Amino acid sequence: MSNETVFDNKLYLLHDDFSYLKKNREPYIKWALFGFASIATLFVFLIIIFLISEGAPFFAAVPLQEFFFGTNWLPDSDFYGAFPIFIDSILVTFGALIIAIPLGIFTAIFIAELAPPLLRKILKFTIEILAGIPSIVYGFFGVIVLNVWIKDIFQLHDGRSWLSGSLILAIMALPTIVSVCEDAIREVPDYYREASYAMGATKWQTIRRVVIPAGMSGITAAVVLGIGRAMGETMAMTLVLGNKFRLPDPLTNMLSQVAVITSTIALTWGPTAAGSLPQLGLLALAIVLFFMTLLVNTTSNIILNRVQKKFRGDLAVKKHSKLRNLFVSNSILKKLVKYKQLMATIIISLLIFWIFPDLLSKIIGSGICIGASTLFWGRSKISPKYKRFIDYALGLSFIGWVFSTWIGIFLSVSICLLILVVLTFFRELSTVGQQRFWFGVVYTCSIFAVLMVGIIIFYIVSKGLPVFLEPGFLTGTPKNSGREGGIFPAIIGTLQLTAGSILFALPLGVFAGIYLSEYAKENRITKFIRAGIDNLNGTPSIVFGLFGVVFFIVFIGLTRSILVGSLTLGLMILPTIIRTTEESVKAIPHSFRAGSLALGSSKFQGISKIIIPAAIPGIVTGSVLGMGRSAGETAPILFTAVKSTAQYVSLSIFEPTMALTYNLFRLSNEITGGLERAAGTALTLLLLVLILYSFAFIVRLKYEKKKRW
Amino acid sequence: MVFKIKKNNNNEIDHQNQEFSNNEYVIECKNLNLWYEDTQALININIEFRKNKVSSIIGPSGCGKSTLLRCLNRMNDVIEGCKIEGEVLFNGKNLYASNADIRLNRKKIGMIFQKPNPFPMSIYDNITYGPKIHRVLDKDILDKISEKNLKRAVIWDEVKDRLDESAMGLSGGQQQRLCIARALAVEPEILLMDEPTASLDPIATQKIEELILDLKKEWTVIIVTHNMQQAARISDYTCFMYLGELIEFGETTQIFENPQKKLTENYITGRFG
Repeated sequence: MSNETVFDNKLYLLHDDFSYLKKNREPYIKWALFGFASIATLFVFLIIIFLISEGAPFFAAVPLQEFFFGTNWLPDSDFYGAFPIFIDSILVTFGALIIAIPLGIFTAIFIAELAPPLLRKILKFTIEILAGIPSIVYGFFGVIVLNVWIKDIFQLHDGRSWLSGSLILAIMALPTIVSVCEDAIREVPDYYREASYAMGATKWQTIRRVVIPAGMSGITAAVVLGIGRAMGETMAMTLVLGNKFRLPDPLTNMLSQVAVITSTIALTWGPTAAGSLPQLGLLALAIVLFFMTLLVNTTSNIILNRVQKKFRGDLAVKKHSKLRNLFVSNSILKKLVKYKQLMATIIISLLIFWIFPDLLSKIIGSGICIGASTLFWGRSKISPKYKRFIDYALGLSFIGWVFSTWIGIFLSVSICLLILVVLTFFRELSTVGQQRFWFGVVYTCSIFAVLMVGIIIFYIVSKGLPVFLEPGFLTGTPKNSGREGGIFPAIIGTLQLTAGSILFALPLGVFAGIYLSEYAKENRITKFIRAGIDNLNGTPSIVFGLFGVVFFIVFIGLTRSILVGSLTLGLMILPTIIRTTEESVKAIPHSFRAGSLALGSSKFQGISKIIIPAAIPGIVTGSVLGMGRSAGETAPILFTAVKSTAQYVSLSIFEPTMALTYNLFRLSNEITGGLERAAGTALTLLLLVLILYSFAFIVRLKYEKKKRW
Repeated sequence: MVFKIKKNNNNEIDHQNQEFSNNEYVIECKNLNLWYEDTQALININIEFRKNKVSSIIGPSGCGKSTLLRCLNRMNDVIEGCKIEGEVLFNGKNLYASNADIRLNRKKIGMIFQKPNPFPMSIYDNITYGPKIHRVLDKDILDKISEKNLKRAVIWDEVKDRLDESAMGLSGGQQQRLCIARALAVEPEILLMDEPTASLDPIATQKIEELILDLKKEWTVIIVTHNMQQAARISDYTCFMYLGELIEFGETTQIFENPQKKLTENYITGRFG
């Protein structure tokens, strides 16, 4: 310890000039970050305000009653009855969920409870791929594979149908359901499981009796989120549904062609004149869609918040139950609650009687409803004898409903008898045998999920590879409206749009995320901002597209261009970036912040020098995922950035452009004979998105290994 | 030349101060009360800590000893719903006065935490983080600062060849000594230690204790510990707290051999706690 260094030190750290400490920039920084966070919320309101204010004249011209209950949607002849479109949307979503919910829950159980660590990672990656495949690629898969299969199996002229749409939607909703369910199951503390094992329960008994009931609210949220995801899906639906604005005939005919809200907007917006009644009608549809998803997202967020609080023993849960007790202790309400099952059944049955056209479906439909509502509302309170009866009734009526014919009824009766035999046999099985059976179901579902990814990738690659490998496909310009030649301008256009969107969303999102995790106090304003961001996250992409039009083009006066497309896409990926930033910043231990403060640093010095560098892997992952999403989206750029005539590379951000997603859409929808090039485009798009997702996955994997705190 | 004069002056003044104020109180709490939301964690604390001594705060879990320590460099400020009344005088000035500079005071009152918390960066960057915060940007000076403080914390020989490696790769005891070096690098007057050996093994604990006895020559150390033997081994003064109140404070030998209060005696002899 030489005196010389002591001298230097004293000079540098023991002098009296600490005037720089007096400059307190903290309040300014805090307000600036608050500003960034508010912008995200502001956009939610801008979406609501602009959609409503632009769409309002429609409701002045068309009575609400006609819009909601009229049965003819013929904008050219001034008929604006959107009833069939709403019902179709509900039916298609419902069909998808029947497939996706059991499949998703069982796969989640496998990933969270049964899979060994390596397999778990592989499966999670597979599910992430499924989430990453662009919507339009699913649509293309539907066109070249699923529609053809359905056409052949059911001997139709055209494979486009409700069934096809529901199947595609089921695959698309699967990743949401699986990942949220898995989180919910993993959130269940281990001591629950240990307590169950300690009493001699088998693994399946533990899962079935302890883990699933404990994670039930999270699983419910997963289902609700799945509904939101399915309702907002646009581009795939434009290609596989057939887009006929009518109710299925009969209502249970899954092979009829239908139209959902999103596909109606995407397909018929283009030719409508700005401000004309047909366009306003589509805006009105978008408003309905926006509020529907708002409702769904709010519901799932409330449930998810409660899940988190439940396991942390938070006060809020107690408050909730107090509130509930207050209501339930009232004697009249008590009676009502007691008969809620009966009431729900009556209400739903009435609804069904009104919706279903013929007597047979009425009977069957009410059967389903009685069964479903009994199952849903009061299963645990009824005696086992009736439980079994309800199981059979439910199975019978469901199958009858699907087929809706005398043969169908016959079929369903025999299937139910079969189930009866199997169940009787099953009840005789030992607990180990039951476990074996259920694990079989779980394995099958997981394999099925992986198989789907395999099938989709196999078909896209096998159809696309010959075109993809053609010299000049990636580097050439399109000829004959894209039927021949290359896709170079589309590749560049997609890269431009992706880069533009991340340039807009990254700074905004990172600062907003830092505000939320480091500065925001848990008060009403913060809750409000968070709710805004969550809702922005769940808003369907087509709504963003329309908002881009009414805000950036109509209101601000920009033209259809890369700039407007980038802003719209950026807005769409903003919540992802905010959320991942917030989560990765929150994951950094509090001791680092304390350590920095204890040395006399300001709050922001600690954040910028320690917290952000440590959170960078997480932020990178989030941004890359956002980029993948923005590269794969079609609906937001459909009316804001792309033009079918833009078949060249545009270097100015104020010009429209071509994009891979849009190229794929028009080649598989508008251009006859374009399917070959479409396959090549689909493969290119898939590769681009998968590269981005794999990169994000690798960063996260490395980061998890390196993390030592 | 100017520097040299300054050096002499500083040294002289420091020397004088040390002579003059050897037994003076460097930090005092006056009628200190603290609430977390509605629960009162500190009740009317009056205590003085002497310069260049090791003072330890003991007491059962939840008695408020860490809370008291955190009041001394205002680390409680970051906790939401925390309300403080009373005064903490540092060299005669109230830390909680409206014109007090929190950051300057924190620079002068260093803190070591229960769990070693090196930043996720290199050893060198950990040491120089504080000086950089306080506007020392000259690379040569930073090199000297890092060497000097790593030597002060007796960890220099173990890490001198790997200053550029991540601090997260060090053992728990090394991490804690690095944190001490990091705190010393901003030239504090007081070191607050919040159970610094709670997460360490006996050998690392012994090294830290030796280091604390060594640090006493230049710094005032206030240490929170739930290990009574540790308090007896290293501290000159001991204060016993119970349920947010200061029960007894005095020289360590007196507290351990001849406690004045029944409660202290019960705790020391292991009848509760």
